[in-house]
Amino acid sequence: MWLGWTRRALLLIAAGAVSASAALAQYKPKDTEWPSYAADLAATRYRPLDQINASNFKDLEIAWRIKTDNFGNRPEYKLEGTPLMVNDVLYATAGSRRAVIALDAATGELLWIHGEHEGARGANAPRQLSGRGLAYWSDGKDERIFYVTPGYRLICLNAKTGMPVATFGSGGSLDLKLGDDQTIFPDLTTGEIGIQSAPVVAKDTVIVGAAFREGMTPRSMKNNKGYVRGFDVRTGKRLWIFHTIPKKGEFGYDTWMNGSAEYTGNTGVWTQITVDEQLGLVYLPVESPTGDFYGGHRPGNDLFGESLVCVDLKTGQRKWHFQLVHHPLWDMDISSAPILVDIKVDGKAIKAVAQPSKQGFLYVFDRVTGKPVWPIEERKVEVGEVPGEWYSPTQPIPTKPPAYSRNGVSVDDLIDFTPELREKAKAIVARYHLGPVFTPPVASKADGPLGTLTLGTASGGTNWPGGSYDPETHILYAFACNSCVEPIGLVPAPKDVSDMNYVAGVAGKEVTVMKGPGENAGADSPMPSKKPAASTYARMNVDSLPLIKPPYGTITAINLDEGKILWQIAHGETPDLLRSNPAFKEWNLPRTGQMTYNIGTLITKTLVIAGEGQVTTTADHPRGAMLRAYDKQTGKEVGAVYMPAPQSGSPMTYIVKGKQYIVVAVSGGPYSGEYIAFTLPTESD
Amino acid sequence: MILSGAMCAAYGALQAQEPPPAESRSVWDGVYTEEQAKRGEPVYHKECATCHGDAMAGGESAPPLTGGAFLSNWNGLTLGDLFERIRKTMPQNAPGKLKRQQNVDILAYTLSANKFPPGKTELSRQTEFLKEIRFEAVKPETKK
Repeated sequence: MWLGWTRRALLLIAAGAVSASAALAQYKPKDTEWPSYAADLAATRYRPLDQINASNFKDLEIAWRIKTDNFGNRPEYKLEGTPLMVNDVLYATAGSRRAVIALDAATGELLWIHGEHEGARGANAPRQLSGRGLAYWSDGKDERIFYVTPGYRLICLNAKTGMPVATFGSGGSLDLKLGDDQTIFPDLTTGEIGIQSAPVVAKDTVIVGAAFREGMTPRSMKNNKGYVRGFDVRTGKRLWIFHTIPKKGEFGYDTWMNGSAEYTGNTGVWTQITVDEQLGLVYLPVESPTGDFYGGHRPGNDLFGESLVCVDLKTGQRKWHFQLVHHPLWDMDISSAPILVDIKVDGKAIKAVAQPSKQGFLYVFDRVTGKPVWPIEERKVEVGEVPGEWYSPTQPIPTKPPAYSRNGVSVDDLIDFTPELREKAKAIVARYHLGPVFTPPVASKADGPLGTLTLGTASGGTNWPGGSYDPETHILYAFACNSCVEPIGLVPAPKDVSDMNYVAGVAGKEVTVMKGPGENAGADSPMPSKKPAASTYARMNVDSLPLIKPPYGTITAINLDEGKILWQIAHGETPDLLRSNPAFKEWNLPRTGQMTYNIGTLITKTLVIAGEGQVTTTADHPRGAMLRAYDKQTGKEVGAVYMPAPQSGSPMTYIVKGKQYIVVAVSGGPYSGEYIAFTLPTESD
Repeated sequence: MILSGAMCAAYGALQAQEPPPAESRSVWDGVYTEEQAKRGEPVYHKECATCHGDAMAGGESAPPLTGGAFLSNWNGLTLGDLFERIRKTMPQNAPGKLKRQQNVDILAYTLSANKFPPGKTELSRQTEFLKEIRFEAVKPETKK
């Protein structure tokens, strides 16, 4: 029986900072607070604040900062959290152990910390490090913090003291590997299932999804399944469960032919879940089934893989669903929160939900009925020839809005600074199969094709940070990697590597298991296997320059009343390697943006704010990354401040004691994780 | 004074082991040897390639160790900084597992993969000497 013991340092209970404050009749989130991972349950990442605006953004100073090095037993270099701020206290996950810290939101003073030492169970977790965040709940009197550990346990803490709430679950924790309508195999310690996103609290329900290892080279066609569950926020009692892979007799079971729903796994909801509390509806963005690129062992459409599913908040019953990709083969798992948007289309008010994606499409539905707001057409796509594979002859393609980021690859997408570079690029891609979105992966052949060259798949388009939405103007904003090219080739898997017929790989290279983000990186981790990875991330460059032409990374503003792109800009300084090239001036390039995939945007009353994901050294700043602000109506840059390292977690904002702050997580390369808080200089400066 | 053969050999051996006197050096000045990079190659493949890829192109768990993003991450810092990052935090699940000599040989192999020129002296395994070698992404213009 798992007997967890926890350590927390109760540093200070400051009556001012952490008290229950003026007794609230019922907890109502304030505009000046940030009570949810994505600002609110609709995932807007929006706050109507404008103390920080175009006239003063460039004057922002660092108010306080906190490194996460010592919150686990080693520093972390991948800090992806977005903190919460309620009642003048900032709460965040931090450190290689995924501890929870509470800070004075004005000064950054550490108030308390809580960390779980999970031993072997934590070390074996598929998703490690500090994760993306946590959830807050209050009934107006009690205040609680919820988060899920790497070892997949749901912890409930008293927000004032950091102590586990004894009346929740078992002494404050719930073992999520139990009560999951399946027996997690092979055992509770090593069984593969976990999560890195923040749980969601809506009304009196805590909702948690599931995540697994990276799915490019699975060890088996069989895996644990990623169901979604709702729990009572006070007791931890399971209220409902939604089977993302249907059980026999349930709707959708026969879309997994040959009984493959029995053994196929994954298909979890690893990213942020959104809730409409008024309608009592929950929106679940589902990921890929087992085997990101090969589905020969799961013939059929595979519901609800890569589907947006709407379920009832009280019962978990499915209300509607829409599958974005039939029989998924491109790792187009739905990677971010479905954003709740109240829009007006052709004069008619619609309560809608807008789903950004890796494939650069924004899918917009009536969030009550599930009906697409603009037609989504089933169109014929190329059918592949990988032995044993099953293919869907059609895929759904939205007619509006237009794709906001590249999907599919053609010669026209290649570097074009000079005719010579273009010719060299053409010679490289001649060894690959090219085509538009939904061109299927191919079996890799040493003399070509090595694979299908893709954009808008595993790390393309919009990834886990998702988009942002302005409820005043009905404009949605999304960062996208416009040039994250990935070749997808399949090779027969050796039996000691996988029991699947095919896994991702390149002909002629040894096939082994690719590791996922943070896997084995956590505080208690063991040694990895010893064989080298046959990387599908082949070096895609021409004379050290990116294969795909700019813009490399973009922010797009989409008017949702009209289904039109309002503006699109390149986000991120042109990389050092281009600017230092002797021929750079001849190329005459506007800013190119940067090829990163994990940038979140923050919207305020007047600004779109996003940091860079890559370090540059320019005449304006020493090596570092800039936090940039753009006019939200025009996309024109209005200010930028220096950060010592790239943005690795999405920014948030709040007002405390009359001052507005922006807090962002930075890390990467030589720089270990740090939360940095910016504010305007005080009057006396 | 004429040095005897033995003394010449001893002096030569000394040259191969110790770095030249402290002066402004960068990764463009031939700061590792081909032999050292060759020693580092199998160690890299055994200990690093699982996450960083056998062509150093990276993967979802670990960044590339060649190319623009890698170069800009370390540009302006020193080889000592990069070496300490490897020595203290890599491999990610068992930091400190490798000996200093193994780590610096892997560093030499990484420099060769990034097409920095080899030279006559090996990279020292002492951090303080590595801190004197600047990591510059772009070759500085030849001084007149």
